[in-house]
Amino acid sequence: MKAARSFAGLLLCAVAPLLAQRGAPPGPANPFLGKTEAVAEGETLYNQHCTKCHGAGGGGGDIGPAIVSADRLDIGVSDAQTFNIIKNGVAGTPMSPQRLPEADIWKVVTYIHTLRGTAIDNPLPGDVAHGEQVFWGKGQCGTCHMMSGRGGLTAPDLSNIAGTRKARSISDALTKQQHRVYGSGGAHLQALPVMDSYLPVYVTTADGKIIEGVLLNEDGYSLQMIGNDNQLHLFDRAKLRRVVVEPRSLMPTDYDKRLTPDEFKDLLAFLTRQGRPAPPPARRGGPPEPQEP
Amino acid sequence: MPKKPLVLFGLMCVGLCGSPAAQVPTPDQALISPDAKDWVTYGGSYTSQRYSPLKQVTTANASRLEAKWVYHVDGTTELEPTPIVANGVMYISGFNRIDALDARTGNIIWKYQRQPPAAARQRGTAIYGDKVYLATSDSHLVALDARTGGVRWDVKSEGGFTISGGAPLVADGKVIVCGNRPHGFIQAYDAESGKYAWTWSAVPTAPEDPAFATWGGGTPAGAPIWVSGSYDPELNLIYYGTGQPDPQWTGIARPGDNLYSDSIVALDVKTGKLTWHFQNTPHDVHDWDSLESPVLVDATYRGRPRKLLLQANRNGFYYILDRVTGEFLQGTPFVDKLDWATGLDGKGRPLVAPGHEPTVKGAVTCPSTAGATNWPPPTYSRDTGYLYVVVAEGCGINVITSSTVPDSGTGYYESPHAPWQAYVRAIDALTGKRMWEYKAIRSNHYGPGLLSTAGGIVFAPEQISQVSVLDAKTGKSLWHFNTGDVITAAPVTYSVDGEQFFAIASGTNVFAFGLFDGR
Repeated sequence: MKAARSFAGLLLCAVAPLLAQRGAPPGPANPFLGKTEAVAEGETLYNQHCTKCHGAGGGGGDIGPAIVSADRLDIGVSDAQTFNIIKNGVAGTPMSPQRLPEADIWKVVTYIHTLRGTAIDNPLPGDVAHGEQVFWGKGQCGTCHMMSGRGGLTAPDLSNIAGTRKARSISDALTKQQHRVYGSGGAHLQALPVMDSYLPVYVTTADGKIIEGVLLNEDGYSLQMIGNDNQLHLFDRAKLRRVVVEPRSLMPTDYDKRLTPDEFKDLLAFLTRQGRPAPPPARRGGPPEPQEP
Repeated sequence: MPKKPLVLFGLMCVGLCGSPAAQVPTPDQALISPDAKDWVTYGGSYTSQRYSPLKQVTTANASRLEAKWVYHVDGTTELEPTPIVANGVMYISGFNRIDALDARTGNIIWKYQRQPPAAARQRGTAIYGDKVYLATSDSHLVALDARTGGVRWDVKSEGGFTISGGAPLVADGKVIVCGNRPHGFIQAYDAESGKYAWTWSAVPTAPEDPAFATWGGGTPAGAPIWVSGSYDPELNLIYYGTGQPDPQWTGIARPGDNLYSDSIVALDVKTGKLTWHFQNTPHDVHDWDSLESPVLVDATYRGRPRKLLLQANRNGFYYILDRVTGEFLQGTPFVDKLDWATGLDGKGRPLVAPGHEPTVKGAVTCPSTAGATNWPPPTYSRDTGYLYVVVAEGCGINVITSSTVPDSGTGYYESPHAPWQAYVRAIDALTGKRMWEYKAIRSNHYGPGLLSTAGGIVFAPEQISQVSVLDAKTGKSLWHFNTGDVITAAPVTYSVDGEQFFAIASGTNVFAFGLFDGR
């Protein structure tokens, strides 16, 4: 119990300085941002120096906290702040200053940068235009998914997919049946999730009418679905005669097989660009924001 | 059971529910004559009366209200949005984000989150047919599919203007947005396509503009606009309030009235041209913006049917204007503590009392800078004919750090001799006479907005966590609920399958209330 308390204290100490720096000025720009070779070198350096505490892929270890989360938005720590933490450590925590050349620190930062954010921050390489053709053509993605007002409604709209999911998460959804990813606390939810599995559902109303579609949400008292009529249906469960939810996703997970390697790569290049990157942080100075009120 | 993915063909439906045989109103009709069960604009309807014809909950049964559900909006701080409710779906907005809920149960249906998560205060969204709209922290205007949250279009604001937290307003097929930077402005975009239509600047930008001379050689600045407006479809005019001139606290660099700051403006929605303006507080040095909701009422006023515009202004006066022409008809103080003006002249211009400009030593002024009221919107009951306003009685002390530097540091604080106290006050809309007041004990500052219903009640949250239901005729409290957090948002009411709900954001949660047994 005592050990658990100490660990909790350690985490707080380690995280608090990160939080405190959220309002700090952006600092120097990352010289390696977007450079693939630097990412690879940074990963090697990370695995040599950082994994022991912060875990593989920044997911957290026995000593240090997670520095990225698996599928949620990571916000608030700029590359410059990460650089300073690696270079100078965090006082009062096991995070000691790392004796690495500054260029190597920046490479580690570049690698961590690719782990953070969502796909739109680190889009995958490929022929984006061709990927779009695959999306609407051979991939038949638009049959179920909508993109900017075009496509189907029986699967999640993908207009902002790269703004909400990481590239690996998108790739896994196309290739793995068990691709659902949880937050950095494992199955312990940190926020109320949207139910985006879109499972097939068949509802029989009290007057015998059958409505088919996909499930958007449900609990013991109500059910929300989108029907094959393209309309939202919101039901009081007590007023339904029968509800059948098929526990299988309609999403094919063999796109790495039904597409050629180039098609698959280009499709990922297209999907990992669907969204808007976060705007750069506002520069300090300039006129103050007008008061509201 | 189908063994292959469901394939959808055919035309997308407009609207979310209803049987195929039902007459589906056009998006414009749904806003001009909203279904009583819905809350389709920031102000409930284009009039901003925040009056609902729903009457399941009455003075007789309001005591049986109970919390039905709570929705936590993760990652937020102090919520200010007015939700939109249409066809059983509630849309809760923030910068970069909208959450769509089943309005009966609070179950989430979809969530749109754009990077980065933003905690800045935002006050609502708008709906038009199958689209809902949001502004982003980097001033994009985005249309989302109301069924799925998918992006339908996304445009950057024209001309580098920064869109504020005011809820968009859809009028005449245009999405109207407003903002503060580089100065107050209103812009319009086509609701279907996002195509830019027009911009109106709240301060003159060219010397040939007649308003330019009202700045006495100073640079016109300020007049931010961050609260949604009202709309008269017959006149095709939109009505907005504008904010204070800049610099806010000293007028030495801007001698003159400083048009169109602290004004109510009427714009032609087709062109964005100014049709008329009425300035509540010329040459303001107290931050008394005119962003309090302009309430549109058609009534017989002094024996003549008129289209009226009502506003309880932050400066302490209640105004009645003719909204066709902007003619000032009447102005009455709605607070006791008002000393900065001795009254209004025949045109509505304040008769300013000396000694209230902010000074280095500090100048006492009533009402305070926080205002006799503020942006949280009032409500007008068509049954009682009263305008209900959240009122703060009190005075403030305004200080500046220099009497010669135009934009010197400043501050204001509560006068120890006149501590602030919040009330809900009922004002006879056509006379300005005060009819009753409800003292919100412990609340001393403007807080939430109000609504009234055909059930004879005023739904009246308080700054300090209480949600009360008041008798619209008497002000008597009929029911209350402690949300456990501050309230700085405005409530809505709606109906799903015949069951009436009330909803209000408090702290980081949205609460919904209804009758114990749903009847």
